Amino acid sequence: MTLLVMIFWILAGATLQVVIPAWQHMGQPAFPFLLAGVLYVAVNKKPIYFVLTALLSGLLEDSLSLVPLGYSACAFLVAGWLAWRLRHDFHMRRAHMVMGLGAICAAASTGTLALLLRLQGSVMLSRNECLLRMAGAAVLAAVLVPVWFWLIRGMERLLGTWEDRA
Amino acid sequence: MKDRKWIALSAVALAVLVMMNLPDATSQRVKGAVRDGISPLQAALRGGVREMQDIFRYMRGWRDLALENRALTEEIVYLRGEMRMARDLERNNQMLRELLGFVRRSPNRLVSCEVIGRDSTGWWQTIRLDQGAHSGVMDERAVITADGLVGRTVAVSARTADALLLSDPTCKVAVRLSRSGVFGVMSGVGAKPGEQPVARIDFLLKDADVQEGDEIVTSGLGGLFPKGLLVGHVRNVELDEAGLYQTAWLNSAADLGRLEYAFVVATEQDLEQAVMEDSSVDMGLVDGRAAEGETP
Repeated sequence: MTLLVMIFWILAGATLQVVIPAWQHMGQPAFPFLLAGVLYVAVNKKPIYFVLTALLSGLLEDSLSLVPLGYSACAFLVAGWLAWRLRHDFHMRRAHMVMGLGAICAAASTGTLALLLRLQGSVMLSRNECLLRMAGAAVLAAVLVPVWFWLIRGMERLLGTWEDRA
Repeated sequence: MKDRKWIALSAVALAVLVMMNLPDATSQRVKGAVRDGISPLQAALRGGVREMQDIFRYMRGWRDLALENRALTEEIVYLRGEMRMARDLERNNQMLRELLGFVRRSPNRLVSCEVIGRDSTGWWQTIRLDQGAHSGVMDERAVITADGLVGRTVAVSARTADALLLSDPTCKVAVRLSRSGVFGVMSGVGAKPGEQPVARIDFLLKDADVQEGDEIVTSGLGGLFPKGLLVGHVRNVELDEAGLYQTAWLNSAADLGRLEYAFVVATEQDLEQAVMEDSSVDMGLVDGRAAEGETP
């Protein structure tokens, strides 16, 4: 059941991410629907679910954009690992803590992807542009991640799959 | 226990490495399959959003409907007259061409597409079109609208295609100034959708005849874009610090921020290949020609 719920949210995130274009400010970061799902699983579920979610979300994000296959999965794994490490330092019941965690992980994910894309040579971004974009991603994640967490948790409670691990 | 952890970590690392190092063809096939799978959902959502926008637009503009109706009726009368004249001219033109033994210079055809999405990652300036290889859309083909060139196709799956817009810094186009005939290579400046200027031409000689408002068309050099497609106009010209070269900043002719429909310039071979791949395909072809002077 947990896997089905995760697949549902990954598909919902991917669809929303494709329909909603990137934010036009602060370096044009994407709305991190998929990342929010990965962070939720990293914080609340067993590591195996987190790894599967990160790989699947990465595969979807790369397939729906020009990012080479595997790059987003790498970025999601880094962000998810960070969330997993920090899950006891942030109180997950408080919205501002989730906002903080989302912002840090989104910045890490964007930074990783920017680094990979620059190494591969498919984007031309200066260091300042990368930093601005990381800041933009952090702002978006701070807004979106708590909402996404609340929605997934609500669904899990309805279905009876919610387990408090945080 | 520790061993199991390391084995799991190695398996994950291996999976990511394999994904990152898949051969190009396999990687494109996987990406194409996923994209085609999600594109109906994307098109449906996009359609819903567009319907809502239309409803709001209609509600806002209902007071002006009577006036608009009158203006449109006048325009129809005027355009019908123009159309009759154009038909006569076309007949004459055709007759003269036949007399001179002229053949159409370009075998290109247009595939009409609806824009179903924009780049959601923000790393590139792209749009997603609802037609792919099954309709004759191939990689590295020009994408145009009625106003002018908008970009080129970069990733094509069976039912969708991604087009890189002129405003993307990685999009380069060989261009020519219509008035003075000066050649150059245009590259995007990463402007946000709808923002101007979208591109620039670097390293124009300091005495090259470039003026504000000059029309820019594709030069046809490089073979990617057909010759003579309207790209945009010069917004302003700057001399570099050393005073050796000029840089021309360009506004695109097509509004890249409001793209709803676009056409992919396909060759006869592309269409034949598409027909061979799927003989029952609905081509979505426009009865138009991409010959020089006949497209924007």
